[in-house]
Amino acid sequence: MSADDLKYEIKVLLVAELNLSGRDPAAIADDAHLFGETQTGGLGLDSLDALQIAMVVEEAFGVRVPEGDDARPIFLSVSSLAAFIVQERKANAVGSRTE
Amino acid sequence: MIVVTGLGLVTALGKSVAETWERVVRGDRAFSELSLFSADDYRVRLVAEVPGMRADDKEGDVSRTSELAVHAAREALTSAGLAFPRSFGPPQASGDGGPARIGLVVGGTTAGMLETELLLGCGFRPSGEVDLAVGDVEWRRMLSHPLSAPTTRLARELGPFSRVRSLSSACSSGANAILVGATWLELGVVDAVLCGAADALCRITLSGFNALGALDPTGAKPFDRGRRGLTLGEGAGFVVLERASGARARGKSAICTLLGWSTAAEAHHITNPEPSGRAPARAMHAALVRAGVMPASVDYVNAHGTGTPLNDLMEARALAHVFGASVAHIPVSSQKGQFGHTLAASGAIEAAITAMAVANGIVPPTGGLEDPDTECPLRHVREAEARVVNVAVSSSFGFGGMDAVLVFGRASVTGGAMQVRPWRPRGRPVVITGAAAITPAGTFSGAAIAELSTHACQAESIALDVDASLDARRARRLDRVSRLAALVCSHALGSGASDAGVVFGNAYGAVDATAAYMRRLREKGARFVSPSDFPNLVPSSPAGHVSIYLGLTGPTLVVADLAVSGECAFTQAWEMIATGVCDRVASVAVEEKSILVDHVLGVIFGSARADSEAGKRPTRREGAGAVALAAEDVALQRKLPILARVEQVIAWWNDDAPPSEIAPPSSTEGTRAAVILASGNPELEAILERGGWASCRRIPCAESVGSHEAAGGLAIAMAVGTLAADASLNSVLCLGSSRGSGYAITIGRYRPTAASRVGVARQP
Repeated sequence: MSADDLKYEIKVLLVAELNLSGRDPAAIADDAHLFGETQTGGLGLDSLDALQIAMVVEEAFGVRVPEGDDARPIFLSVSSLAAFIVQERKANAVGSRTE
Repeated sequence: MIVVTGLGLVTALGKSVAETWERVVRGDRAFSELSLFSADDYRVRLVAEVPGMRADDKEGDVSRTSELAVHAAREALTSAGLAFPRSFGPPQASGDGGPARIGLVVGGTTAGMLETELLLGCGFRPSGEVDLAVGDVEWRRMLSHPLSAPTTRLARELGPFSRVRSLSSACSSGANAILVGATWLELGVVDAVLCGAADALCRITLSGFNALGALDPTGAKPFDRGRRGLTLGEGAGFVVLERASGARARGKSAICTLLGWSTAAEAHHITNPEPSGRAPARAMHAALVRAGVMPASVDYVNAHGTGTPLNDLMEARALAHVFGASVAHIPVSSQKGQFGHTLAASGAIEAAITAMAVANGIVPPTGGLEDPDTECPLRHVREAEARVVNVAVSSSFGFGGMDAVLVFGRASVTGGAMQVRPWRPRGRPVVITGAAAITPAGTFSGAAIAELSTHACQAESIALDVDASLDARRARRLDRVSRLAALVCSHALGSGASDAGVVFGNAYGAVDATAAYMRRLREKGARFVSPSDFPNLVPSSPAGHVSIYLGLTGPTLVVADLAVSGECAFTQAWEMIATGVCDRVASVAVEEKSILVDHVLGVIFGSARADSEAGKRPTRREGAGAVALAAEDVALQRKLPILARVEQVIAWWNDDAPPSEIAPPSSTEGTRAAVILASGNPELEAILERGGWASCRRIPCAESVGSHEAAGGLAIAMAVGTLAADASLNSVLCLGSSRGSGYAITIGRYRPTAASRVGVARQP
């Protein structure tokens, strides 16, 4: 899967799981702040959304998002979330090969 | 003056007041590994379970929750000297020498969830069909599922009771149950009232809080620097309240007094507390004002203190707002580090603990607190302290920002006031300032609702694009019921209603969503249940969502009374305004298409029985009805449109004791009064005959809105609309009853010159 496809898939997931009805996934900027105010281009999400995202990311992509402060940089934007998923999948792949 | 004359407790620390209190004072903690059900994949399995408590599962509506409730309620009644057979003198208020009227108010969130959640998870297919192969015998366990089931069980076990209420405001339910009991005494509709709450542990709540990351794996440590969350507990707490004059007349000494109460909403977030603490501070302040107590006179605060980072920080700020500099000297403690967070029961259990602190002159500690968080600069109680407690405050805060505060006083201090002043019923006039209905036939408000009775719409679903009518971003967490409720309430309330509250009448809760959640838990495991779906399964959530969406900061709660839940919501709203708990409330009831209600609950609770026996499909049309109530003086002062006045509100319990005091129509001319029946029980005709209403014209209801649990809410809105549309009409009686519970609500034409004493003042 290309990086763009992954980002699009994340956006579709966010719209569906967080009930961002009326939002076009394609219209969400890769670097839009997930927890930033909507007036400044953010998605206006909150801590309850963060928990939901962590759950669906694990379900859809098989990677476990860390809890607490470690999750902050990952939850910054769609881009950071995609980068984390790619990195974790690589690490998992390496891990499984050495087992 | 209201006094506490009985207490009853079941907690993980002990199965009586004495046992729990002794261990609370010692600082004991009762946390252990969960044994009730297997929860291998839950991150946290540390809970506060009540040991040796078994529910007899032979009877349909018996549940662990109901058995916890019966145990604690029996202790409370016994200690008040009111266990059956009653030893109670003639009522002081009515002076008619009749039997004492004892009320029952029960708060909860889980009811029979532990007994029914697996059934829901197995018997409900993803396609949305009910698996009837599960068998009728098993589906009959759903008798224990409704929020009102433990109340019914209590009434059967410990009754008779004259007036009964089931409510939920999430974790403040227990405190609100006590508040409702106090308002009943003020209204003079009961002579004593047993009020409290119970919740048993279950998979839904444990997995839900687990998914929210709200559980501390090492056990709750309220106000501690290292606190990481709460520990779920279970239990029940009940108190008996009565008027001081009544207790005195039967020679019963008071444990303490209930001086003040308040309930309000934060209108902030469905799970997170409002961080500044301003909203809870407002509720605490209002309770102290009601008690007539200066903040500096408070000797002890029993905090909500859950042990979550956000709650405890917010609560410390709220206490600072209320008490100012003196917060540094007022002892504060929470027992959630000892018997856990007992959810709905916590408000009642902790009220009983607060009453014991006042009665015994002992301030209990915060068990589990080792290193107080400097961000919570309170005068923490680390070990029990002997000191005189003249005034104590108990606070409870629930999901959806539902805050409730009780103020207790020392009986001997207020004893002087107890001796004199004969008690008189209180009640201020209440008017209706708006009404609205949404049905498959369309959206109607005010006088236009009258058209509903002539509409021949046979569609079952509401065609209106509910989503397009709301702000999509702010409404994204609202389920369909909450969306319909928010929409119909906004029509009824109009703008500028931010101080209003909302009472939502809901018989069964989000039962389809609960089944879907359980199915996911069963198939995918605890890691993959949805944290954002969980709050919507809490029975109080529609009221919370409406309050948050519309920015309503008044009392916010859900009441449940099976087929008369709509009438119950109106009655609850009226009681709170009449007794000055608040000035404005929207009462609302909503029916949505639900597979489990259509095929299971509606059938076993009989609301659809008549139709199915006749071989017809039950007419469960979707619908939402809301009525905006306001205190007359407030409506006049704010120049709100007044559509009608509330003439009389009567609620009763027990089939064999129907009301005799329904006031006859104000006009002898039958055409000037009308009757609307949301449920067509034959017994209602006899009541109409006795009350002089039998020959009045009928406003057709079932034909236009269908037969379902929310029909009463629509019927009341229709009554208001008809009165507004038809100038020849003087009054409308809305009558409904179901399974022993009944309501008679008379709404009359408003005349500004009407005597200001209406409502309760009309009762003898």
